[in-house]
Amino acid sequence: MQREGPPLEALLRRLAETPEDFLAEPRFGASGVIEVRAVVADLLRLGGHRPEPAPLAAFAGEDARRDRNRLASVLIATWLLADEWFLAAKFPARELLSILQDDLRDLAGLVAARKFVTEAERREELARLVLARLGARPAGETPAQAQDRLTTLSSVERARVLRVSQAAAQRAREIREALARKAAEESADKWTRE
Amino acid sequence: MTNAPSETITDAERYPTLSAAGRAMLDFLREHPRAPIYRNESGNRLTAEEVVRVRAFEQEVAAARVGWTPGEEPPWLEAFVARALDEVPFYRSYGSRPRRLGDLPTISRADLSRDIAAFVPDPVPVDRLINFRTSGTTGHPLLLASHPVVAASYLAFHRRALRRFGLELQHGRGQVGVVLLGLQRKCFTYVSVTPTQDECGLAKINLHPADWRDPSDRAAYLDALAPEVFAGDPLSFAELLTLPVHVRPRALFSTSMALSAGLRQRLEARFGCPVLDLYSMNEAGPLAVYDARAGGHVLLQHRLYLEILDTAGRPVAEGARGEITLTGGFNFCLPLLRYRTGDFAALRWSGGEPVLVDLEGRPPVRFRTRAGEWLNNIEITHALQPCALARFALHQSADGALRMRLPAGTDAGEVAAATARITALFGAGQPLHVASDPQWEDKVVQYTSELEGAGL
Repeated sequence: MQREGPPLEALLRRLAETPEDFLAEPRFGASGVIEVRAVVADLLRLGGHRPEPAPLAAFAGEDARRDRNRLASVLIATWLLADEWFLAAKFPARELLSILQDDLRDLAGLVAARKFVTEAERREELARLVLARLGARPAGETPAQAQDRLTTLSSVERARVLRVSQAAAQRAREIREALARKAAEESADKWTRE
Repeated sequence: MTNAPSETITDAERYPTLSAAGRAMLDFLREHPRAPIYRNESGNRLTAEEVVRVRAFEQEVAAARVGWTPGEEPPWLEAFVARALDEVPFYRSYGSRPRRLGDLPTISRADLSRDIAAFVPDPVPVDRLINFRTSGTTGHPLLLASHPVVAASYLAFHRRALRRFGLELQHGRGQVGVVLLGLQRKCFTYVSVTPTQDECGLAKINLHPADWRDPSDRAAYLDALAPEVFAGDPLSFAELLTLPVHVRPRALFSTSMALSAGLRQRLEARFGCPVLDLYSMNEAGPLAVYDARAGGHVLLQHRLYLEILDTAGRPVAEGARGEITLTGGFNFCLPLLRYRTGDFAALRWSGGEPVLVDLEGRPPVRFRTRAGEWLNNIEITHALQPCALARFALHQSADGALRMRLPAGTDAGEVAAATARITALFGAGQPLHVASDPQWEDKVVQYTSELEGAGL
């Protein structure tokens, strides 16, 4: 985080004002509208790179159930990374791809994509995470301050998700047990049976 | 799935609001001298508050408009989708709410079969969950989460279906509302009362002679019960036609299998009442009822949206056949988001309401005629409609030969008529073997083929 980046507020405002095109549905086969792979390629070109097909394959929509939220998150992150400050800094393509491939995969497992636009803490987490992965920090903050704030944001969210997922696993167990206790058809009256 | 022992429950839990009159009805059903051997026990499980809730739901269903404007999604859908994405663990992984329903993935029976717990919304209390099991024909047995209120709510849609035929249920205290008929070697049988219908009686019985002390008791018992409605499937109704009953029900509900026009006509002539062919499934309850005036199955549920999709999950052209895909439903333990049913139909509009046309419970299978022409299985269904066949299954071998399976005891005249119609459809000289099957399973895949290109 040695490099001083843009003011955090500017990035947060950019995320809050994400255009509709970057909130559109990622394309999967016949459904959806945005080919996320093409948007990532455009971002790389804007940064002065020549995109290679192989690393872009990770952004092809194959399985909507698995990838819909991830690619929707990637799309929002490409809008953030297309900010003038990032483009002018000319970060290496592999660093940009690493954020979009790896960090966004992790984040999308925890957060519904739209929250990176609509919720203040998730906007801040995404903006700080992207800066940190590129070795930068918000303008006016020391590296330690920037690291502290990012850690707090992400650890609070991860702790919340962990609590929810533990509770969900416990509840799923209870549901399975409750259903197993009822003998087949020893349940309740229906006037017709299927 | 854990191997938790089955619950032992008491009558107080089976019938929480049972009155003395309700108890008398249960005794009458169980202890009648010609009663069958009841194998099981069950009940409505409704608390007093839930009886009120189910009655209110019946009024809501009665007053509701069913359907939507063609090309538009119904107004309730957006909030339903948002809630499902928020509250249902399986759907939560989809991420944010899309602008269009069609941007969400579809699910199938295999997904429900894998882990039903992931489809139960977070706010649903676990303690009152019940289950319904279905074996199905697709290799994915299902254990579905439900609730006594959901089971009792079926009647709201039955009433709506009856109203299309000018009927209101009338039986109440001291009378039998419905007898559910089965015809299986092994069948779950029990008696109950329906609290929302003033504790009229409910009996689920098996017409198989093995369930009776004397087979002649069947007709005598049914006459004694004199139910307002019989519910069953084409197999049990075909058996009912063989019994010397005098009972005059006000309606018959046919579910589970396709009802041929021939069998419907025989039932209507014999009992002098309408036969309602219901399209119903454990996953979503009664979806639609056949109404010839509308040209197909008219929808019954006001909070259920249907899409018709092709094999790639795209909407078919308006009016074309495809897979019925459901979003919504009244089972609050199992909200459906783009559930591919495995059933096929076209969706058309008649008098402003959506109608399922040419409904078939299985993916289409093509058959090849002697002249090499492909026939959709729906054409075979149409050709055999006039025949009063309770069930049939048709298989085409790799060499083009046909094998038709019929339940044992099918009327010889009907077999001859069906044979003639198949021959007329496929062309003279078509090899056709007709087999009478005494071991007819509960659910059978009706159309199968070994020919390459038979699947659509």
